[in-house]
Amino acid sequence: MSRYILSRLVLAVVMALLATLVIFLLANTVPGDPVLAQLGDLAASNKEFVAEWRAKWGLDLPLWQRYVIFLQQLLHGDLGISISSQRPVLQDIRDFAPATLELASIAFLLSLVVGIPLGIMAAMRRDSWIDHLARLISLIGVSSPTFWLAFIMLALFYGGLQIAPGPGRIDAIALPPTSVTGLYLIDSALGGDWDTFRDAAAHLVLPSIVLAAATLGLITRTTRASMLESMQQDYVRVARAKGIRERRIVIGHILPNALIPVVTLGGLAYANLLTGAVLTETIFSWPGLGRYTFRSAVTLDFPAIMGITLIVAVVYLFINLLIDISYALLDPRVVR
Amino acid sequence: MSIASAPALSARAVAPVASKTRRWLRRYGLPALGALVILAWIIVALSAPALSPYNPATVDVTARLRPPSFLHWLGTDVLGRDVFTRLVHGTRVSLTTGIVVVLVGAIIGTLVGGIAAYVRGRLEELIMRLTDLVLCFPPIILAMAIAAALGIGTTNTIIAMLIVWWPKFARLARSLVLVQRSQEYVEAAVVMGLSPTRILLRHILPNSIGPLIVLVTLDVGNAIITFAGLSFLGLGVIPPTPEWGSMVSEGRELIEQWWVATFPGAAILTVVLGFNFLGDGIRDWLDPRSRRR
Amino acid sequence: MAGKLGWIDRRRLVQLLGAGGGAIAAGLPSRVFAQTRKNTLVLGIDISDTITLDPARLAQYTSPMTVSAAYDSLVTMKPGEYINLAPSLATKWARTPDGKGWRFTLREGVKFSTGNVMTAEDVKWSFDRVINLGDQPSQYIAHVDRVEIVDKSTIDIILKEPAEPLLTIIAAPEFVVLERKVAEANGASAAKDAKTADKAAQWINSNSCGTGAYRIAAWERNQQIQLVRNDHYWGGKPPYERIVIRHISDGAAQLLAVRRGDIDAAFNLIPEQIAALKSEPSVRLAPLASLDFVYMALTQEPEFNKALAVKEARQAIGYAIDYDGIVKSMLGGAALRPAHFLPIGVSGSTEEIARQIAFKQDLAKAKELLATAGFKDGFEFEIAYGNAAVQGVTYQDLGLKIQSDVARVGIKVNLRPVDQVNLRTEYTTGKSKGGVLTFWNPPAVENQLWAAAVVQRVAKRVHWNPPEDIVKLVSQAATEPDPKKQAELWVEWQKRVVDQANHFILFQPVYQIAVRNTIKEFPLTAAGWMLDLHGVTPTG
Repeated sequence: MSRYILSRLVLAVVMALLATLVIFLLANTVPGDPVLAQLGDLAASNKEFVAEWRAKWGLDLPLWQRYVIFLQQLLHGDLGISISSQRPVLQDIRDFAPATLELASIAFLLSLVVGIPLGIMAAMRRDSWIDHLARLISLIGVSSPTFWLAFIMLALFYGGLQIAPGPGRIDAIALPPTSVTGLYLIDSALGGDWDTFRDAAAHLVLPSIVLAAATLGLITRTTRASMLESMQQDYVRVARAKGIRERRIVIGHILPNALIPVVTLGGLAYANLLTGAVLTETIFSWPGLGRYTFRSAVTLDFPAIMGITLIVAVVYLFINLLIDISYALLDPRVVR
Repeated sequence: MSIASAPALSARAVAPVASKTRRWLRRYGLPALGALVILAWIIVALSAPALSPYNPATVDVTARLRPPSFLHWLGTDVLGRDVFTRLVHGTRVSLTTGIVVVLVGAIIGTLVGGIAAYVRGRLEELIMRLTDLVLCFPPIILAMAIAAALGIGTTNTIIAMLIVWWPKFARLARSLVLVQRSQEYVEAAVVMGLSPTRILLRHILPNSIGPLIVLVTLDVGNAIITFAGLSFLGLGVIPPTPEWGSMVSEGRELIEQWWVATFPGAAILTVVLGFNFLGDGIRDWLDPRSRRR
Repeated sequence: MAGKLGWIDRRRLVQLLGAGGGAIAAGLPSRVFAQTRKNTLVLGIDISDTITLDPARLAQYTSPMTVSAAYDSLVTMKPGEYINLAPSLATKWARTPDGKGWRFTLREGVKFSTGNVMTAEDVKWSFDRVINLGDQPSQYIAHVDRVEIVDKSTIDIILKEPAEPLLTIIAAPEFVVLERKVAEANGASAAKDAKTADKAAQWINSNSCGTGAYRIAAWERNQQIQLVRNDHYWGGKPPYERIVIRHISDGAAQLLAVRRGDIDAAFNLIPEQIAALKSEPSVRLAPLASLDFVYMALTQEPEFNKALAVKEARQAIGYAIDYDGIVKSMLGGAALRPAHFLPIGVSGSTEEIARQIAFKQDLAKAKELLATAGFKDGFEFEIAYGNAAVQGVTYQDLGLKIQSDVARVGIKVNLRPVDQVNLRTEYTTGKSKGGVLTFWNPPAVENQLWAAAVVQRVAKRVHWNPPEDIVKLVSQAATEPDPKKQAELWVEWQKRVVDQANHFILFQPVYQIAVRNTIKEFPLTAAGWMLDLHGVTPTG
């Protein structure tokens, strides 16, 4: 078992590095010069000055050497300095990641809390109104373009009805809680600042609903399908024949098996939420990784792009690894 | 058994028409509705110029941001262009890009996945790791890097999408082929000395096509949303081509002038919903385990 | 460093838990904050571009406002007056006796925020630091040879090119005076090797050591900048105890906050949001007439586009664009339109002059010019632009507008959206194949700076080789001592470059800032730092 995990780990590391290499090569085919985009008009026209700035970020070195330097820095836990913010990429990511983590986690929780019971009920009362409702909700969920849903939510609840707070993580004028984790809910609770807690929670409502919509649909459908499949298994029939009460059959026999695929899918969905929040973040002015990613990509900020790629790849591979390991634990045949 | 079914039979005899319709609706209602919606949008796409009174590219800044009225059914945008006209014309881009991406992605993915599963060994391992690699990229960075390298435009956005699109088909195709491969009829074909290509194309693929069709149908909606999303970020069509995602983007800050963003977004929702209704129906229909009673 | 970069800041966690939760002194919780509002000025603005507050490293759009509140330059410009300079840390200035530079008499008794008296040594050191640090600001005073101390209240700035302008340039907040002792104690260096020796960036980003009305107390990136009153300020007691510059990226959120009174001024509203404020009694709109340009540059390289190589064909484009539609309809009238790269308000550029010599829509004339150029049936060219907006109007919308305008005389435009990096690279290296829609935000109010650029680097980008007399006209106008004659020369210069038709100024933005009526004076300035923060006063 431990050998299996070890080999998967090694593979994950190789994959993550490979991902950065591919992005590195791809980004370098872009003809634009990131330094020119950062410089003022006069400086950008001064060849010596431009050369000096290129040297500052090592952009004057041969490709392979730049990648080797990236790897060397990585060994020291350093992702280099961002060209556009001119400070360590790690520090940038540390600033932006908590916003995304908080939003994605709340959205994920929301989709689990609603999606799993809905899926279970839909499977238990197949073809009833609740099954149809669940189907409709989940289909609308996966069919809504997030950026549009975000707009509609804001226009309706913030602009029109004025019952929801506007864009941003907290009230435009309020100061964020003293940073410990960077997660406002946790930080404000730690500090006992319940006003800020309520404020942050209120600001999370709309964006997390928007972000949860698609995942909710996915979770509901998977739970339903997987419940139906489990219900037809022999051991369930046996249990029924034994006269065990339906409730106990569901909780004790069907659910544990039915939820395995949900866990897998949920894991992947969570990874997607973490990395795919660009559109939601854009509309809700959410200072998260998605917007940082977008900005880094448009400014061709090499160190930032590499850093984000690495982190996204690591998150994705780590979650995949967890899924694989949990499978291996459940089903030892996988290891062979 | 016969005792149990007797009441049902008699009930059916009493109200044959109503219950038949209801049963049909229950089984085929949503997929049929989905197919209808898609058909309607296809008709709209084909007859766009006839449907709309204006030219989608006509700019008239003196008539900007007019609310919906008899003259402009869905209002006008920041440049005074008729939103209804642009919406109707935008159907073409969204439908074709969605379908093209999924079809091409499915063909590439299926071939690659099929080959991987059939050949096995090193090549399979390589292909599967490649799919892993593609999946662990931040999609936005990948799409933007490709757009920056190739230039912004519909074709390049489709290329960018294809690069991330094929792996899921490859994975599905591989698992399907692996299942079929162990079936007796395939082993028989191998024994008979048929060529691998022939076995793959004539025997294995037709038998695994069902789940692929489901994924394709469900995925068109997905592709339409993704393309619109990239377009929303400024990576889609070249203006003045009307496209739904970019139309929403143009209106995203205009909360008071809600019509600019609301209608094109609603159009995306309906067409995607259409494909999902249809795909969901096909899945139920093909999958005996979840087939309705 | 490494310890701080971990996701959870352990030190802070320990502090917090140890302090028993309730006592958060550093964070200034939001509700406490509301109570101290009276003596606090709060500005709501998108400051995501602020990446440094070091005067010698400034290159961004919003950071000069903060820096100009904490530091003073030798001379300055009063809002609305962009031709004549006003005294600041220098009370008098004149050419040096040998005519090779400028001599400044320093103001007596100016104190830094530490209470120490400013000396000529501090002034020289500050200029040396800009020059030796070699960052972007040094480019603008590349013609400065050296700074010399004459006596304890007099300094000379000696120029390599004595005729080139200096005063208008050093009025910008890049060229301010720092307290040498404090700066050096925190790692600053003005020595020849300052490029590597200067380690003050981090300290100077959250502190200041200037003579300005306020002192930088904190900067939390993408959140806020805090300034506190400088009790030693030479210009009288500043009216606010504290100034908070809040980063609010979203216009809708700024609108809400200024309506509720959470912020005193909102800087980034789009025309539709401004329209929504017109009926709000507690908020007024203050126009910030910028010196920025939104323009289209057209190449004339025949290899790229044969038609654009012909001057008359380019002029036809100039006559086909509906400028009024852009300014009046798309911008709601919140913009000016100069004839060329001399913004309305400087010498030789008024609205009246612009009306006379700038292009205006005249389709008949455009068609006539097309025929003269040999393109009776029109031609085709591309317009490249980035994904951005000025005053809520995107370049894409401007491109679409121009596309539909020139189509009326038979010219076909192919729009080409490009990412910012490629766009800028193409444009600055002269590889743009047609038109480029872009923005110019001059760093200092100086005609010569812009006009010289137009005939040098800006001309190169469009492959224009300016004739000798136009180049000469620039230096002639720049050195003309008589203001009236000077203005005439600038008008003459504008006529020549307008005729050349490589650049079409679409508009000069007049930003609309929403200001609450709790503020009396709100001296917005076009001079590059947006707002004279030391001059903002409360009502009552």
